Amino acid sequence: MVVLSLALTGCETKPSLQKYFVENSDNKEFLAVDISPSIINVDKVALSTEEKKALESFKKMNVLAFKTDGKNQQEFDVERSKVKEILKDPTYQELVKAGNGKDGAAIYFVGDTDHISEFVLYGCKSENGFAVARIIGDNMNPNDVMALFGLMKKGNIDMEQLKPLQQLMGSPK
Amino acid sequence: MKTIVKKIVVAIALIIMPSMVFAQSPFEKFADQDDVTSVVVNKKMFEMMSKVKMDASDKQTQVYINLLKKLDNLKVYTTSSAKPASEMKSSVTAYLKANPLEELMRVNDNGKNVKIYVKSGATSSQIKELLMYIEGGSGKGNETVLMSLTGNFDLDEISALTEKMKLPGGESLKKASQK
Repeated sequence: MVVLSLALTGCETKPSLQKYFVENSDNKEFLAVDISPSIINVDKVALSTEEKKALESFKKMNVLAFKTDGKNQQEFDVERSKVKEILKDPTYQELVKAGNGKDGAAIYFVGDTDHISEFVLYGCKSENGFAVARIIGDNMNPNDVMALFGLMKKGNIDMEQLKPLQQLMGSPK
Repeated sequence: MKTIVKKIVVAIALIIMPSMVFAQSPFEKFADQDDVTSVVVNKKMFEMMSKVKMDASDKQTQVYINLLKKLDNLKVYTTSSAKPASEMKSSVTAYLKANPLEELMRVNDNGKNVKIYVKSGATSSQIKELLMYIEGGSGKGNETVLMSLTGNFDLDEISALTEKMKLPGGESLKKASQK
């Protein structure tokens, strides 16, 4: 068990996506946003044990986005296929995928279904660009994830941290 | 230290990997095609969904959770343009030739031809694979749909799925499961 948890917390040494994020966070074509658990602005005292556990299992979220501007189509194609290639690695287990050829989205996870160390969200829209989000945690399980969503829904999302993303999407929905 | 961790990670990945390698589906090629909308849900997703705490007091939810544990793969491909639609038709024909499935039912639902094929398991109500093909025409709301669901489930349970997830041809499936 010790070995297992050691291996799972070792997710940050995962080569590819981590490396890709580091390499490109300063690239001017990319937009990098790091989100800390403090985005969920809740009164910790009022949380149920379940919610507390969920919040504790969530470490951070890193987002890397490529925005197309009409001049960087070539780079877009190159970078997108790089990301696709990385995500083909069996480390990233595909949960769901949807798309229509041009646009698409997918969710991957790292770990096993009861001990999830990372979620990877991928989304691509030909006109806007593509984005990859890594939700990094420590031993998350499906219930934690649902609890987190619940907490986010409860409101009090610290929008300040999301500002750069809004800029990418054009305008918030 | 880091290399040890890396090794362990690789080892674990290798253990997990076999469960991730699915037989390449003949319909996979539709996933990245223009004008084809695709949705793929994998076993791990069903597994996770079944683990989420739900209010299991009503019977329907119980059936649903039980079913989730038995599902492997759901693939839905939809198109409303002619070329991929005809490709779907030919790959369904080819697939049925190579993998004889039993025709479960054939209905004409609002001018659409719905065909459902199954591969039975140990007993006749146990299903290993369900293939649904809806032959559409041109125009909106008249899409051609190809759906493949694999696992080891009971036909009666499928209606729980069509209720919870909005699957195309849900009505026909419901009828099929009530037979």
